[in-house]
Amino acid sequence: MTVQADPRLVAELEIYGAQDVLKCYHCGNCTAVCPFSKAPFIFPRKSMRYLQMGLREKLKSNLEPWLCYYCGECSEQCPREAEPGETMMSMRRWLTAQYDFTGISNLLYRSWKMELLGIIVLAILTGLGFYMFGTATGDIHKYDGPGAFLPSAVIHAFDWTMATILSTFLLINCGRMWWFTMGRDPEHRATPAMYARRAGLLLLHFFTQKRYSECDRKGPWRLHIVLMLSYVSMLVLIMFFLPMMQAGPAVNWWAHAFGYAATAGLLITVAMALWGRVQKSATHYKHSHETDWIFLIMLFYVALTGILQHACHRLGSPYAANILYLAHLMGVVPMLVLEVPFSKWAHMCYRPLAMYFSHVQVDAMAAKESAAAETLPA
Amino acid sequence: MENHKIGVYICNCGTNISKVVDCDEVVGKALDQPGVVCAKSYKYMCSNPGQEMIIKDIQEQGLDRVVVSACSPRMHEPTFRKALIKAGINPYFLEMANIREQCSWVHTDPRQATDKATSLTKGAVRRVVHHEPLEKRFVDMCPATLVIGGGITGLTAALELAESGNQVFLVDQAAQLGGNLARVDLTAPYLDSARDILTERIRRVLENPNINTFLNAKVSGLDGFVGNFKAEIQPAAGEKVTVEVGSVVVATGYKPFDASRVKAFGYGTNPNVITSFEFEQMLRSGKIVTGKGKIPKYVTIIHCVGSRSEEFNRYCSRVCCMTALKYGQEVKSALPDAFVYDLYIDMHAFGKGCEDFYKQASAIRTIFLMYQKNTAPQIRPAGPGDDCEMFLRVDDRLCGEEIDFPTDLVILMVGMEARDDSAEVARLVNISRDRDGWFIESHPKLDPVATTTEGVYIAGCCQSPKDINESVAQAMAATARIMAKIARGRIEVDAVFAEVNQDDCSGCRVCNELCPYGAIDFNTELHRSSVISAKCKACGACVSACPSAAIKARHFTDEQIFAQIEGVL
Ligand SMILES: Cc1cc2nc3c(=O)[nH]c(=O)nc-3n(C[C@H](O)[C@H](O)[C@H](O)COP(=O)(O)OP(=O)(O)OC[C@H]3O[C@@H](n4cnc5c(N)ncnc54)[C@H](O)[C@@H]3O)c2cc1C
Ligand code: SF4
Ligand code: SF4
Ligand code: SF4
Ligand code: SF4
Repeated sequence: MTVQADPRLVAELEIYGAQDVLKCYHCGNCTAVCPFSKAPFIFPRKSMRYLQMGLREKLKSNLEPWLCYYCGECSEQCPREAEPGETMMSMRRWLTAQYDFTGISNLLYRSWKMELLGIIVLAILTGLGFYMFGTATGDIHKYDGPGAFLPSAVIHAFDWTMATILSTFLLINCGRMWWFTMGRDPEHRATPAMYARRAGLLLLHFFTQKRYSECDRKGPWRLHIVLMLSYVSMLVLIMFFLPMMQAGPAVNWWAHAFGYAATAGLLITVAMALWGRVQKSATHYKHSHETDWIFLIMLFYVALTGILQHACHRLGSPYAANILYLAHLMGVVPMLVLEVPFSKWAHMCYRPLAMYFSHVQVDAMAAKESAAAETLPA
Repeated sequence: MENHKIGVYICNCGTNISKVVDCDEVVGKALDQPGVVCAKSYKYMCSNPGQEMIIKDIQEQGLDRVVVSACSPRMHEPTFRKALIKAGINPYFLEMANIREQCSWVHTDPRQATDKATSLTKGAVRRVVHHEPLEKRFVDMCPATLVIGGGITGLTAALELAESGNQVFLVDQAAQLGGNLARVDLTAPYLDSARDILTERIRRVLENPNINTFLNAKVSGLDGFVGNFKAEIQPAAGEKVTVEVGSVVVATGYKPFDASRVKAFGYGTNPNVITSFEFEQMLRSGKIVTGKGKIPKYVTIIHCVGSRSEEFNRYCSRVCCMTALKYGQEVKSALPDAFVYDLYIDMHAFGKGCEDFYKQASAIRTIFLMYQKNTAPQIRPAGPGDDCEMFLRVDDRLCGEEIDFPTDLVILMVGMEARDDSAEVARLVNISRDRDGWFIESHPKLDPVATTTEGVYIAGCCQSPKDINESVAQAMAATARIMAKIARGRIEVDAVFAEVNQDDCSGCRVCNELCPYGAIDFNTELHRSSVISAKCKACGACVSACPSAAIKARHFTDEQIFAQIEGVL
């Protein structure tokens, strides 16, 4: 089948952070050194080619960017300084925007000013809403329980509502990812049994990031897994144990110990990532898209205000605690609303999904091959 | 037969010979031969101690003939001849037997190899007694030079010679100097202007009193031999001129491949498809436009048109890849918003500065596609809704997809071909052509500008496709060779050549056409053939062909050859 070339695609990906793509002359060194490139997913050279040629649909159905962890070895090896690692990164951003059905993602990635504006608007709305609600129904000098400024029961209910809405968006986007990479391509059409057989991989990869750990360079994986587990722990604590943490004066040390560990994990890893990007200390930190900075700064801000409001609460300053809590929510809400379905956080789902789909693809192709072999005349 | 004192020297060549041939046995057998007064084997005969040994034996034992059984005479005959001179005897009293290339390197059985080495040595011993003392001779060297072709190569050769004070006759069939380069805009890989390169040189040529330039003219005849040629120059209008020259530089260049021969591109019928030379013309006039006169949004460059193909020319034309990259850069600088597609088979970026030039082309966003050798990308017209004139379809080798991409203007990188009159020129100056029509050099590596006709040199694209700097380098190499000869003032002629016994020659002229070097002159008044010894290479063709047995080749007399055969048997 003939595919249509679009010479403007390279410029489009450059908005997402791609650099020097057209410098690649296909020596294949990058693919040779990539620790994750294994048949039938041989990358990153071929993805570079799709991009150079402007094969939009080919790129859209490409799982390979998600199989890359940006160890940076390819970029270090490239004789043309074509930055294949950064190209794979930018393709992940671009794919996130392609999977998103609302077009919001596209907007955020294309313009950091838009993203900043979105954050500010959402922060103001959140702040105003909770302030008006808090002062109308409670007392800013009271932290929890009846008549409190931001009672845990209310926040809890708000969290669940937001989680439901955001998950719906994210699920729809995951569905689109499935359609682009699996559903619409007859080559990759798999039976439900094939999907079921590999379902375990989804959880495995989500929690252990096993594949990432197979990289020669262990440092980035360690940082990433600590960050990710801290984040998930925090999410679980908030979604299920929020009242326990906000309640007092008795302290539930189980929940608290987890909370402190997770907060420490977040603050340390995010600070390290930020420092790495400032110093450009590793290949994968060499180029930073605006969205990378915004994401890390937001995360650091949220973790910091979270622990500070908690400290004030435990140290007996409910007024300060409430103000900081408000500031915390003004960070959490925009971060989650914008990042989870539309930006960086979505990769938490796309990566394990890609790993999962890639195995199903291999099974589907193998089944097709053996079926074809059987129908061959003897 | 007089009594000769023969010395026989068997070389071990390290172990190259001795590991298969029993050299001591050969020594022993040689000693049994009549006239052999000493026979020795030695590790390296060609080394200084080896040569000293021979010299000492000649002087002490009064040897008057020497046989060296070693490697090919092409390798060390000059070495041993020099040793003979040093020892005070005529260098032609040497005979070599090749027991390396013809024995130890090609045989594995030591017995048979040793027997063969013995036979060859015996043959040499028998032959050498018939050797006659021969003397080298000299002919005068005329310092003027004929340069055929006034492209960048011919201009350079003419200037090099003339600016060193030598007379030059520069002949070009065209109405002006400059050749194909006069049609080029900027030059790869440093983007100097071809016009600047040429005009300065042409001015210097026209101003130089040592250079006689003949435009619209051809060389219609060339007679004589190195140092002593007579050339006839025939202007398109006017009298024939005869000039005397000592050397000839052939710099007749190339002709561009005719793109209409590749039917698939529709060159000649599709106005949006042009050749590289037409594009050079656009660049020179500063206007890049499609067939309809519109500014193109998409420009496609196709490499290897007529080159590297089974159907047309198999060779690579060598300059078109870099020229294509140059076009990419020139298009981008004239039309920054245009997209440039570059379709290649292989990117040949081998010269100095070329890899950087390639990288630069990528950096300014040329989009490269790799198509399959022996296929032609397909062109089809675009529909009314499309924003381009045509679509090109290519099976891109680097992603395995068949890709359709938009284009408004297609530039065909036509290759180089030998000129239509190259056979005529070759005959005129008596040089040969390869199967593609390019002139053949004397040795592809070690003698790249000389030819089999001494005094005739080839330089530039008439020898094979090459870029400007290689053409210029060849022009300079040829002139350096010529100036070395001029500096010596006379030319050494090999003592080995054929001679016609005028009394026996019947004037049948059989030999005249046979001689591959044109060395035989026929005197129409006396009705006799004679050999121009300076041109003769002693190939022997005439000797064996002469029905009157009137021709004798020095150093290859019947006597010598029969004696050698007897010895071998
Ligand atoms: C499209 C194109 C672009 C190029 N761009 C570049 C570039 O950017 N950089 C680069 O390095 N090289 C480039 N080249 C190569 C360059 O053109 C050649 O290297 C150069 O022209 C060779 O010079 P020449 O003198 O050997 O041959 P020519 O330029 O062919 O000159 C030969 C001359 O001999 C004359 N002649 C021929 N036969 C006879 C005869 N029988 N009697 C008398 N006169 C005769 C001709 O009239 C002509 O003037 C390009 C080539 C092409 C095809
Ligand atoms: S190493 Fe660089 S130039 Fe080579 S194929 Fe990879 S990206 Fe392209
Ligand atoms: S960054 Fe690492 S994982 Fe990603 S393509 Fe390059 S070598 Fe492979
Ligand atoms: S130089 Fe390049 S375009 Fe020209 S024939 Fe050779 S490979 Fe083809
Ligand atoms: S020996 Fe050969 S080169 Fe010499 S005149 Fe005879 S045919 Fe010509």
